[in-house]
Amino acid sequence: MFRPKLLFTSLAAVLLGACSPQDQQAKTAAALAQQVILPTYSRWVEADRRLAQSALAYCSGQLDLERARADFYAAQKAWAELQPLMVGPLAEGNRTWQVQFWPDKKNLVARQVEQLLDSKPEINAAVLAKSSVVVQGLSAYEYILFDSNIDLADDATRARYCPLLEAIGQHQQRLAEEILVSWNAKDGMLEQLSKFPNPRYADAQEAIAELLRAQVTAIDTLKKKLGTPLGRFSKGIPQPLQAEAWRSEASLANIGAALNSAEALWHGADRQGIRALLGRDQQELVQRIDAAYAEARGKLEALRPPLAELLASEAGRQQLSDFYDSLNRVHRLQEGDLAKALGVQLGFNANDGD
Amino acid sequence: MLRRHALTLGSVLLGALGLGAWKLFGHQPEEPLLLSARDDGDGNHYAVGYRLDGTRAFATRVAQRCHDIVEHPQQPLALFVARRPGTESYLIDLRDGRLLQTIVSRPDRHFYGHAVFHRGGEWLYATENDTRDPGRGVLGVYRFQGERLMHDHELPTHGLGPHQLAWLPDGETLVVANGGIRTEAESRVEMNLDAMEPSLVLMRRDGTLLSKESLPQQMNSIRHLAVAADGTVLAGQQYMGEPGEHADLLAIKRPGEALQAFPVGEEQRLAMNQYTASVAVHDALRLVAVTAPRGNRFFVWDLDSGALRLDAPLPDCAGVGAVKDGFVVTSGQGRCRFYDCRGAQITMQPLELPAGLWDNHLRLV
Repeated sequence: MFRPKLLFTSLAAVLLGACSPQDQQAKTAAALAQQVILPTYSRWVEADRRLAQSALAYCSGQLDLERARADFYAAQKAWAELQPLMVGPLAEGNRTWQVQFWPDKKNLVARQVEQLLDSKPEINAAVLAKSSVVVQGLSAYEYILFDSNIDLADDATRARYCPLLEAIGQHQQRLAEEILVSWNAKDGMLEQLSKFPNPRYADAQEAIAELLRAQVTAIDTLKKKLGTPLGRFSKGIPQPLQAEAWRSEASLANIGAALNSAEALWHGADRQGIRALLGRDQQELVQRIDAAYAEARGKLEALRPPLAELLASEAGRQQLSDFYDSLNRVHRLQEGDLAKALGVQLGFNANDGD
Repeated sequence: MLRRHALTLGSVLLGALGLGAWKLFGHQPEEPLLLSARDDGDGNHYAVGYRLDGTRAFATRVAQRCHDIVEHPQQPLALFVARRPGTESYLIDLRDGRLLQTIVSRPDRHFYGHAVFHRGGEWLYATENDTRDPGRGVLGVYRFQGERLMHDHELPTHGLGPHQLAWLPDGETLVVANGGIRTEAESRVEMNLDAMEPSLVLMRRDGTLLSKESLPQQMNSIRHLAVAADGTVLAGQQYMGEPGEHADLLAIKRPGEALQAFPVGEEQRLAMNQYTASVAVHDALRLVAVTAPRGNRFFVWDLDSGALRLDAPLPDCAGVGAVKDGFVVTSGQGRCRFYDCRGAQITMQPLELPAGLWDNHLRLV
């Protein structure tokens, strides 16, 4: 049939003995995969292993509630850090629903946990794997450990919820371990972000495009996670119970963890991040993005009380609104100027199909 | 000069002269011409033709974004059809990309992105929206008068919100995917998600309804079609309900049988994110291919056994079409790819075509 031409860019690079943009992109993708993304996935696996152990220890009386909650916070933070790095198997096949169920407009987490425990009090990891994703993840775990209607000091209550707590811990550990194995496998994500072309990426530009897309999508989601409780999508009426992690009061901490991770992709370890792909003539954009991240970080750090408390006062809402605007600047700069500078097409048919 | 000559001979001679003239102008069957609607980075719209080796045949700027392309059966012409709710379709000379005619939809009508030429080359059928009764599906029937394509009459599609249409192998029976969704003029917002009526209609080209079928779920919009040489119809769906609900996103109607779910595995079904874009059939290899841009995945199945042949990541994969040895796929975001389907293991090769900004359909002529 037809004969594809030799890749002009790589040919030119050989002839000129130069470092082509494609080479630089390949190096950056590989560096980010090894130094930023894979370590974050590994931390997630570690946190979920601890969570599984923690559930067992708590349910057998060897661990107090405060420590069990601390282990949950760690797992939730590790998950938040993964958001801007959501490429590959975890991003596919609706797997993320198994870890977290948000937004939960109809309080499905509480309803489905109670229904499940009424119908299957002897729940275990195998049964859980066949149940609704709503009850499989951290959102259900959070409900059990933090909901004010559940008094875990009461023995009968503990006996009711503990089998599910243990099953979720095991389910999360297994899921995280499977994902990490597939990252490290032959032809896995680590390899596909390092050697081009491969069955996933036709060239390094596609890999960089996907990383930027994941990051921009995550920052957009952070805007939703803040904007929803702030009432940005409900005529200005605050919706504190629509926040992510409202029960554990970790909404702002989660946003912070995800924002740091997005910034890590921008900077990279050893300066081998997306930032390094911009040339000398684009340093003004580099500075604007650096400044936007710094501003957003600063505004978040200034938010002391929990989200629900801030939402209750006019001054608090103003502070949150300022933080939202700074997140929006990070989002716009990366989605618009940065994507253009890198020649990356972020969305076309996928979000506006026919 | 010759083009003009051939075109003014009228419809009677179209069949006799057309194909030969087209071949004379350097059309090489080994190097198919890929036709698609495409944008540039600034949001301008184009009707483009590329050889698969990356050579650009033409890129003609057009005012409205197009969707599918319909090739004339004899002449070196193609109609680039306006994407809904567009009102302009463009008749393009495939030899040089020249815009020959802008076909404007009639008042209270807009295009839905798809059309077909009758095999005789004289008639064109385009799915359109009657915006006075938003969503009432009609076929705009156009006829060549000399070299101009003129509106002639209109037929009902026997359903709401029609999208793609295709011929059965007899070349006289139309299969129409009525998406079931009502939308207004100049809008893409669904008005009747609680009362959708998707259907797959077989009708004669005089408008006579032959059959009308639906899938079990009312919110499962039937949108895209491919027809195999034996008359098997494949339909790709877009599910408008909740993300977690089970919806059959690929359906099959074998000749003489009812429309039913194609046996898509649960993992593949979930990976589609409730949305398929383009469907294509490879007749020689008996394969069906589907793009799922929201899931960023491309699939190939064996048409007869239903066995999964390929489940591959492809960001914002868009149009798909069969070539001799497999499928060519375009993307809204990434590089275009050729999938060689001859062996037991399907292999992928990136194509030297511009990356990204390709609309959801392609035609290979």
